[in-house]
Order: sequence, then structure tokens, then C-alpha cells
Amino acid sequence: MTQPSTSTDPATAPVAKDVLDCSGLLCPLPVYRAGLALDRLEPGDVLELVTTDPGSLEDIPALARQRGDTLLSFEDRGISQIFYLAKGGAS
Amino acid sequence: MTSGLTDTAAGLGTDRHVRRYEDIRELLPDIDNPTPLVRLNRVVPDGDLDVYLKLEWLNPFGSIKDRAAAHLIAGLEERGALDGKELVEASSGNTAIALAALAALAGYRLTVTIPDGVPEDKKVQLRMLGAEVWPTPDDLCPVDHPKDGAIALARSLAATGGGNRFVFVNQYENADNVRAHYETTGPEIWRQTEGRVRYFIAGIGTTGTLTGVGRYLKEQDPDVRVIAVEPQRGHKLPGLKSFQEAKQPGILDWGVIDEVIQVDDEPAYAMTKRLYREEALMVGPSTGAIVHAAAGLAGDNHGLAVGVSPDSGLKYGEYFAELLGDEGTPAI
Repeated sequence: MTQPSTSTDPATAPVAKDVLDCSGLLCPLPVYRAGLALDRLEPGDVLELVTTDPGSLEDIPALARQRGDTLLSFEDRGISQIFYLAKGGAS
Repeated sequence: MTSGLTDTAAGLGTDRHVRRYEDIRELLPDIDNPTPLVRLNRVVPDGDLDVYLKLEWLNPFGSIKDRAAAHLIAGLEERGALDGKELVEASSGNTAIALAALAALAGYRLTVTIPDGVPEDKKVQLRMLGAEVWPTPDDLCPVDHPKDGAIALARSLAATGGGNRFVFVNQYENADNVRAHYETTGPEIWRQTEGRVRYFIAGIGTTGTLTGVGRYLKEQDPDVRVIAVEPQRGHKLPGLKSFQEAKQPGILDWGVIDEVIQVDDEPAYAMTKRLYREEALMVGPSTGAIVHAAAGLAGDNHGLAVGVSPDSGLKYGEYFAELLGDEGTPAI
């Protein structure tokens, strides 16, 4: 799994343009819905994504790589994970 | 699947003899209302093999999938699985269209996860019928997951999406798909060929047709040869599946399949064009693949062969435009 560039500190957490809660959803639903949510953002905007499927630990970083987005940071809370994803394409 | 005359207070009543129906669902096929069987007179080499094509686009919702969809919904209703629920299905289009039509009539909501590459026309037809369409790449899960992202997405929607709201129809694993062909397509072919069918040829997709028809025909005559047509990896033949890249469906019974013939895209599309121009049969690309395989049997085999034509070419305009290039346009 790709490690995000920074850990999440509430004080320095990226400012999200949109929040998507995929708690309780199994793969590939979180990946699919995250892709749709990112599609709707402008380049550089940040999506805060909440998941509970352990598969997301690998799937979401891979999704970001595949799409050309950036995983800014992520926080593993045990039963849930929070990802901050910046949409690619910003100058 | 009602037959005969039904009196109603408001209407004339159904009378199949004059092709008058009180409900579109009464056009669904059965042994007394079969889809046509038409002989191929020009595209199969001369010899001792007669090839007939079963024209499934003449079903009410336009494809062979009308049979499966009707049986799949009936099965769910009989088991009480649909009470208060919505349907979700993974489909390359035809099953979804038939399900969407039947769901609209019965008042069910339908969500379709549909693989990338399915013609836009099919997606629009689905939305016209009131279905919600989720386009899905095959490699949806980027890490360590098999192909068939649409199936995985439909399964995860049923398992975790919308608070237990969805029922996954699952034509790949649902025995009612096989039952549809065992109870309708198989008996129709046996009767239409007066029990003389020697070869049955169909494409590999959900394998409901191959398994259901194959099982029925072999019960009538164990010497009937059942031939499966498989596309190549990375093919462009909508509706067909290659087991080199797709999981084998749970409903597949290898015990009724005698031979698998692999077909490349190019000869399949070339045969589709020949069927349009030489037989005036406006078929989809999967029919071209199936007839190409049937034509290849003609040299060494004899008797009567039946091939399936799953749908018409009308939904594949963008594929055919690529095939034709400038052909049929004015030269400057």
C-alpha cells in the first residue's frame, strides 16, 4: 500500500470541498462512489472519504494512482478510515 | 405467458390466432408462441449441413433475454424475495432492458450496473424505461480483484447498499435463467425442427441458453451436439464472455457442452455484414460470431443445426460505423 504523504492532524487536516461517507459499504462500492464524487469536483478540490471496508486501505490509494488524483493524507481509526483525496489536474 | 382467449371487461380479449393481446407480456415466447426459425441460404457453404437461425430479436423487448428476465422475476416473486424491494442487476444491456420493461410493468425499481463499452444506445433505452444506470469499468477495484466489475458492484449494492433495499437478480448464478431456456427455448427448437436438430450453437455469456437448451435437447436425444462460441480476450462482441478474462458462471453445466469454438472479432463482424447483405438478417455482432462458427462446421458435418441470434443489430450503430468506415457514403 502506498503511504500518504502526511498523517492527519485535526489541526492541519486538509479542507475538504466535499465529504463522502461510505461507512458500511463493501468493495467496490466505496471505490465507485469515490470516483463519482471526485468526478464532480474541480481540479485541486479535496474529497474527505470515510470507509469501513478494510479493502479500502489498498483500493483507495490505488484508485488515486489510477485516476491521477493525490492521496493527501489518511487516518486509520480501526473500524473506519478517513482519506483526503485531491482531485488531479490542478496547475 | 398466458395463452388462449381471455375475456376482459374493457378490451377485446387476447387471441393469439389473430395476434391480439391484452398485455405486452403475453407476447413472451413459449412452445405455442415460439420465436421464428429461419434457414440460412447463402452464408453457409453448400454441403450436407442445414443451418437455421432462431431470431430472438422478435421477442417483445428485443432479445433472447426476455425469456430469462421473465423467469428471473417470476422466480423472485414466487419466493417472496421481491416484497418491498428494488432490483439490481449486472448486465451488458439486453437482460437489463428486458428486466427494466418487466419491472416497469410490475412497479419495481431497477438499478443496472453496466460494463464500460456497452453501446450508449442501450443505456439510453434503459433510462427511457425508468431504470437507473451505473456504468462500471471491468477493473473497478484497482487492486487484486477479478474482472467483471459490474457484477462485483451489483453484489456489493445488494449486500451493503441502501440498507437491505436491493435484491440482486444475478443472472449468472440464478437457476431461473437456465429454467427459462429449459422450459421455452429448448422445447421450441425441438418442436420446430420436428426432433431433427443435430447441432445447437450458442454464444458464451451467462451460459443460461447453452445450459438450459443443451440439457433439454440432450434429454430428448443424447446425440445432439451442443457447441459453445467463445470470443477472444479483449474482444469487442457485446453480450459474449471469454473465460480467459471472465469468471465462469455458477449456472454453467459443462456436462451438456460438447465443444467450444473460439471466434475472433474480425470474422464475426465480417459474417454480421454478410448476414445483413446476403440474408437480409439485421443481427447483432454476437450472431455473426455464432454463424461464423456454424459455417465452419458445414464442411465436415451433416444434418440440421440451430444457431441462436440473440438480438438485432439496431443497438450497435457505433460498432457498425467503425466496421464500415467510409463504405456506403458518397465518394467525392
